[in-house]
Amino acid sequence: VPLTRNYSGEVKKVTLIPGDGIGPEISAAVQKIFAAAKVPIEWESVDVTPVRGPDGKFGIPQTAIDSVNKNKVGLKGPLMTPVGKGHRSLNLALRKEFNLYANVRPCRSLEGYETLYTNVDVVTIRENTEGEYSGIEHEIVDGVVQSIKLITEDASRRVAEFAFQYTKEQKRKKLTAVHKANIMRMSDGLFLRCCREVAEKYPDVKFEEKYLDTVCLSMVQDPSQFDVLVMPNLYGDILSDLCAGLVGGLGLTPSGNVGINGALFESVHGTAPDIAGQDKANPTALLLSGVMMLRYMELSDYADKIEKACYDTIREKTYRTGDLGGKAKCSEFTDEICKKLS
Amino acid sequence: MLPGGGIGPELMAYVKEVFRFGGVPVDFETIDIDPSTEGNEELEYAITSIRRNGVALKGNIETKSLTAGIQSRNVAIRSELDLFVSALHCKSYPGIKSMYQDIDIMLIRQNTEGEYAMLEHESVAGVVESMKVVTTDNAERVARYGFEYAKNNGRKKVTTIHKANIMKLSDGLFLETSKKVAKDYPDIEHNDMIIDNCCMQLVSNPHQFDVMIMTNLYGAIVSNVICGLVGGAGLISGRNYGDHFAVFEPGTRNTGTAIAGKNIANPIAMLNASVDLLEHLGFDYHATNIKHAIELTINEDHIHTPDLGGTNSSTEVVQNILKRLEKLTEGHNWMK
Ligand SMILES: Nc1ncnc2c1ncn2[C@@H]1O[C@H](COP(=O)(O)OP(=O)(O)OP(=O)(O)O)[C@@H](O)[C@H]1O
Ligand SMILES: Nc1ncnc2c1ncn2[C@@H]1O[C@H](COP(=O)(O)OP(=O)(O)OP(=O)(O)O)[C@@H](O)[C@H]1O
Ligand SMILES: [Mg+2]
Ligand SMILES: [Mg+2]
Repeated sequence: VPLTRNYSGEVKKVTLIPGDGIGPEISAAVQKIFAAAKVPIEWESVDVTPVRGPDGKFGIPQTAIDSVNKNKVGLKGPLMTPVGKGHRSLNLALRKEFNLYANVRPCRSLEGYETLYTNVDVVTIRENTEGEYSGIEHEIVDGVVQSIKLITEDASRRVAEFAFQYTKEQKRKKLTAVHKANIMRMSDGLFLRCCREVAEKYPDVKFEEKYLDTVCLSMVQDPSQFDVLVMPNLYGDILSDLCAGLVGGLGLTPSGNVGINGALFESVHGTAPDIAGQDKANPTALLLSGVMMLRYMELSDYADKIEKACYDTIREKTYRTGDLGGKAKCSEFTDEICKKLS
Repeated sequence: MLPGGGIGPELMAYVKEVFRFGGVPVDFETIDIDPSTEGNEELEYAITSIRRNGVALKGNIETKSLTAGIQSRNVAIRSELDLFVSALHCKSYPGIKSMYQDIDIMLIRQNTEGEYAMLEHESVAGVVESMKVVTTDNAERVARYGFEYAKNNGRKKVTTIHKANIMKLSDGLFLETSKKVAKDYPDIEHNDMIIDNCCMQLVSNPHQFDVMIMTNLYGAIVSNVICGLVGGAGLISGRNYGDHFAVFEPGTRNTGTAIAGKNIANPIAMLNASVDLLEHLGFDYHATNIKHAIELTINEDHIHTPDLGGTNSSTEVVQNILKRLEKLTEGHNWMK
């Protein structure tokens, strides 16, 4: 599984899904900053508002699917999932459609934005296709419900491979497999076995296994003891949010979904309907997701420059948005980053 | 008394020492369970003993066997005795330097089903299904326990933790049941939160939580997060209750294999569990004194083991507790 794709000098097309709520504002901010940094990519903006297909079901429009399939790389803002409108979460649909099997979330303490935790630098890698999200549930008899967690060897091995490769390529020190195989002996046991098997192929990556609850305990006490973590779906969902909490929340943490057919980078926060359209949103999470995307595309020089301008702006405090306790508008924050880049 | 593995036996020795010193009228029947055996004779004996005595103090019991059919002994004890609720009172000690101060959260956890149902099978090679079971009965008992606790202890808010947006039926049932129970307690505020958001909130703004109720696995997660926030695995005790039996143990349920036998394990969590046991048995005098001696040792004398950033050994902590206990009980002729 390649982590980075080599694209020769030409301008590369990237799919952009602006999303709902604050999505369009923060997407525009990212586009503006990328332009200021003269990043050699061309955006292809697509709308993913569900349309009724030939089978009568609502789904992602074909043009959007074609765009991602063609470009293989995309950046996505937050999407709203209307409750009870007959279609599943669009986020889920996108993951399925493009087989985005690994979700990567780096959480790093932001220099200059103080939280209680100053020494966080962890990456969570989450299996993204199965586990507790299988959607298989039923009521056996009145008042007794079962949900099925599905763990397969293929998906476990695939995400383990990715995690080891990532740890090695990014020159990180250690990979921790997070599990609960003392209780879920077969399912988590299978996940763990796959990690162990892949570990043999990476003798130079330090590997350890830890119980989910023990990781929770240790993570809040001293996050610096962790580096890269790999785990089944639900544990990844929970731990990645916990780690985001350590460094200041979802407005600051980027994420990437890597798959067989391509990679989709996204901000993990929601559509923030309460501040949408008011020029108040913080575009940092989407911007840093864009930075991750650039690294994936081997445009690291641009990534480094943009990342630095963003961190510097946050550290200098003058142009912080409301969620970071500042008074700046989204556009002011964006302009300051652009100024630093030009 | 089920010492369990790792640091269990040494912690139990401290409990016995404190009880002996304080003249606590409790005799322990000690049952060791060998983690490497496949058979369950010792486990069955332990369960029979708890049925007979009504109460137990336990460490974490390891299950070394890798045979798929063998279930965790800790889980077996909880399900056999129908200990449907686990309750952790997570309260900061002012004398301990930790991430947050003034935390006072009561965590109530379903203790016998959910993800710990241990119903798993390999449908075809390389494909494993693991069943999570949620029942109205158990969800209701847990919610009821949580709201009753809130009502009787002057608590204002109960928060249900779930993932009902994804597990719509199972977690949905748990959530709906707690909403239904909440209606019987109009004076207590009730809200709910998704487990991932809950963890984020806990590390950034833990003081918003009061009483929390949740399914089994989320309980394992949240209890460890909160214990981590108030100072680690060595402090907080946990109580397992059913309609007929009660089992007391350290709240984070760790084995502590790596620190066993080094005289560095923090004895407080197990001693707190023994205080819970004494309270349950109605030995309030002894419970209060030991609890007080523990608090003085931590908050005023600052005798702390390395996990709390201190330099004291386990035995120094225990000795100091005994010293405090002696002062507290001075002039009280408890031998009569
Ligand atoms: N990028 C951002 N910049 C500033 N504030 C944000 C940002 N993202 C989220 N927030 C704030 O965080 C809170 C949670 O919003 P978020 O949209 O993540 O969840 P939500 O309201 O459940 O939306 P959704 O239903 O789309 O998931 C809101 O108060 C919102 O204003
Ligand atoms: N009483 C205690 N005093 C000090 N530290 C403790 C205590 N209990 C547990 N810990 C620490 O908490 C952490 C987690 O405990 P532990 O390693 O036992 O977890 P575990 O997942 O149960 O592992 P294992 O079952 O292999 O022992 C460890 O760093 C351990 O040293
Ligand atoms: Mg989440
Ligand atoms: Mg353990």
